[in-house]
Amino acid sequence: MNTVIDVQHLKKTFNKETALQDVSFTIQKGEIFGFLGPSGSGKTTTIKILTAQTDKTAGSVLLFGQPASEMKQSQNRKRFGILTDNSGLYTRLSIEENLLLYSNLYQLPDSSVKEALDFVNLYADRKKKISQLSKGMIQRVTLARAIMHKPELLFLDEPTSALDPVNTQHIYNGLRKLNNMGTTIFLTTHDMGEAEILCDRVAFLHKGKIRAIGAPNDLKQEFGTDSITVELKNGTQEIIQNGSQDAEKLYQWMQANEVTRINTNEPTLGDIFMQITGSDLV
Amino acid sequence: MNISMTRIQAILVKDYKEFSRNYAVSIMVLMPLILAFLYNQSGTSSINAYFLPINITFSMVTTYIQCCLIAEEKEKNTLRSLMLSPASLGDILIGKSLFVLIVTIVVLAMSIFLVGYTPANLFVLSIALILSAVFYIALGTLCGLFAKSIMEGSIIVLPVVFIFSFGPLALTLATAYPILKIAEWLPSTQLLLLADALEGKYSITDVIIPLITIIIWSLLSWFFTAIIYKKRMVD
Repeated sequence: MNTVIDVQHLKKTFNKETALQDVSFTIQKGEIFGFLGPSGSGKTTTIKILTAQTDKTAGSVLLFGQPASEMKQSQNRKRFGILTDNSGLYTRLSIEENLLLYSNLYQLPDSSVKEALDFVNLYADRKKKISQLSKGMIQRVTLARAIMHKPELLFLDEPTSALDPVNTQHIYNGLRKLNNMGTTIFLTTHDMGEAEILCDRVAFLHKGKIRAIGAPNDLKQEFGTDSITVELKNGTQEIIQNGSQDAEKLYQWMQANEVTRINTNEPTLGDIFMQITGSDLV
Repeated sequence: MNISMTRIQAILVKDYKEFSRNYAVSIMVLMPLILAFLYNQSGTSSINAYFLPINITFSMVTTYIQCCLIAEEKEKNTLRSLMLSPASLGDILIGKSLFVLIVTIVVLAMSIFLVGYTPANLFVLSIALILSAVFYIALGTLCGLFAKSIMEGSIIVLPVVFIFSFGPLALTLATAYPILKIAEWLPSTQLLLLADALEGKYSITDVIIPLITIIIWSLLSWFFTAIIYKKRMVD
């Protein structure tokens, strides 16, 4: 597998405030990597460093094997796309005019605008001005702009924040389609459900440090409790630990036909985050 | 620097579309035209009178519009999006400046026509006017880079408008306040001195000094603009 992003011992300070400390991770080609953490944990700062919008204080940051600062070069800008919660669209222009501008900046054929609009299902609305669009539609236009040059790497900063479930599903479908076409995705979110649905691997970022990293299922196994919850016909819930003593109890309830439901006690990513950091994901 | 004509043209066309739909800013082009028309109607025919609408064009059209275009791009986060595209610093600054330069040339030509000014040496004056426009565009860019919003930009640009538009008038008070002699070296004053010299018998020095002064102002302002752009547009 090719390494697309390689970050080692990254540190970033703003004046005397430490935003990132000893952050290390790698992302392989074709992965969807989730960077999870509450607001102010350093997610956006990481994206800004990776996309050469800001400089690192220390450490090594490589994208496609080159230092992140090289991403300022025009030819490297074509290798990645970025979607942020600040759309950066021209509100007096139509959807089509906005995308046509970027199609010319990326020196793409005009047909790329239609392709991108079809991808986010907005071709019929192409003449609408940005100022007339809902938040969800704006987010889809921003996604269309981010992917119209078919980037190898896509940065998504809170892509579905403040979106309704229908629009969120549109975005998820689009991202899966892109990933299937080989695009590597770096996603930051504080929505653990989103991370569970989309990501191959996640990293928990808290106060500028990575607290855990791995595939969601691996993390659940590592941090999960070894128990199940049994609901009985008398309305009580019993927590059963893995082992012969509790297995006997479960056997007896089942023989007596008292069991109505058995639930695994698998933790969510949010539970694991709270367990590791002692704080909530807000 | 990596410069592409396609990208410059794309930014120019985008700015034209945005500007033509932003009436709060585009209405400013009418100010020097109305002033020029009124001056013409009042029968004034001095170089000072002719140059008031010209200097107003530079401050209220060139500087103000450029400042607002940049400030709005910052306010709406569109400048960052442009910077994350393959457009280079050169593409962005040239694209935006070219649009304001075209607007300035059109408004200047119309103002000169409306005020009834017939320059004795149109060629030399045109060069001086274009060099001045380059300087005022840099000044507008600089103001825009310091502003966080259009509102802030409109305020930041005011002292610039005052100093550069009315700077030549300060010279009339220089006998009472010698410090005001410094206003002689403002590009607006130099432009006026050049135009005045062109109307009579002039030496090569009368032409070269104002032109060089305006060029120095332009180079210095663009140098600072490039530094501030790089500094302010990286977190």
